[in-house]
Amino acid sequence: MQLHFTKDVLSDSVSTDFQNLNKLNEQQFLRLIEILFQFLLEPKETERFMQQLGEFAGEHGMSAGPLRSLMKSVLLVPQGALKKNLTSEQIKEDLVTLGLNQDKAAHFSQQWGEHYAALSSLAVGQTLMVNQLVDMEWKFGVTVGTSEVQKVGNIFLQLKLVVRKGNSTENVYMELTLPQFYNFLHEMERAKASMECFS
Amino acid sequence: MAAAVSSEHFDNLQLLLKAPSKDAVRDVCVQSHRGPSRRLADTTAATLSIPTAQAAQLVQSLHVVSHHVLFYNLVSPEQILQLFPDSFHSSLKNLITKILLENSPTWRTEALSDQISLPQLKDLDWRVDMVTGSDSVSRMSVPTCLVQLQMEDPCPAAGGEALSAVTVELSRESLDTILDGLGRIRDQLSVVAGK
Repeated sequence: MQLHFTKDVLSDSVSTDFQNLNKLNEQQFLRLIEILFQFLLEPKETERFMQQLGEFAGEHGMSAGPLRSLMKSVLLVPQGALKKNLTSEQIKEDLVTLGLNQDKAAHFSQQWGEHYAALSSLAVGQTLMVNQLVDMEWKFGVTVGTSEVQKVGNIFLQLKLVVRKGNSTENVYMELTLPQFYNFLHEMERAKASMECFS
Repeated sequence: MAAAVSSEHFDNLQLLLKAPSKDAVRDVCVQSHRGPSRRLADTTAATLSIPTAQAAQLVQSLHVVSHHVLFYNLVSPEQILQLFPDSFHSSLKNLITKILLENSPTWRTEALSDQISLPQLKDLDWRVDMVTGSDSVSRMSVPTCLVQLQMEDPCPAAGGEALSAVTVELSRESLDTILDGLGRIRDQLSVVAGK
């Protein structure tokens, strides 16, 4: 079986699952696909996804267990398609190859097309970042005096950078003089200009 | 009105009358500013031909006087001359005052650059990369920015390193947010500077 969304050999149960989808009427299929895309757009909401599947199964006289494993198979397609940047056409072809009938495949691929931009951004957002800067806090003030010199008037700037290291965050504290601050600002503007060249 | 320096210090300073030259006086004054040192007391005792104990007291008194001048920012000759008791040797008084005035700017700059602070930003490097693929999306074209900040801690913890570096990765949005924040700092700074 030549598929766009994956090069792996799929187990037979996947084909069976797609053929089972054909048994749903139009209204049922539309609802099921709606639940699916809702989950794809908010992948952290696994509990809600499971709950909605359970309700769907109840409403339509199906068992929840088989429905869930069917959806697991169905999920393979959009997940693979995101990795491979597939078009709606290509997804439709794959669904038909897997045994889904033309109408349902067309509907699925149309939904895919509509949500593609949002799904892509999500996938890109999951791309690994090393030591990602999560937050920056600052304060600045004037040094009024020290133990060595009673009256001073230097401006200082203190920055706190919150950096994600693995699952936890690390705080980095530093102090800048005024010239260093202006240099920092200047360099960040240059970095931004460089990034904008690429868009 | 600056606090006074107690007279026993000036008694010790009169020991400088035994110095062989003005340069010898200058040397002791400058070196004592750093802090008490056994070695300095010994060399001063040798130079002035006085017992080490007295030399140590002299060094300590010089230290007190020079730090007093620094702390209260005494910048005119009159302000410094006022510290001395009336009975103090006149030419030695003028010489010490001159030495203190000469060195004050350097000492002030040193004190300010040496003060306690958070690790100071020493250097900043950045690069912009184009991410062309990842495990979640095999073909993509997303720019990302890496910034390396090198910092020096002026008072590292015992056994700790003074120099450290951290590299952070910024997405386009993060960089925009940072620039937004830095812009606000710049605006606030110009308001303060304008006052």
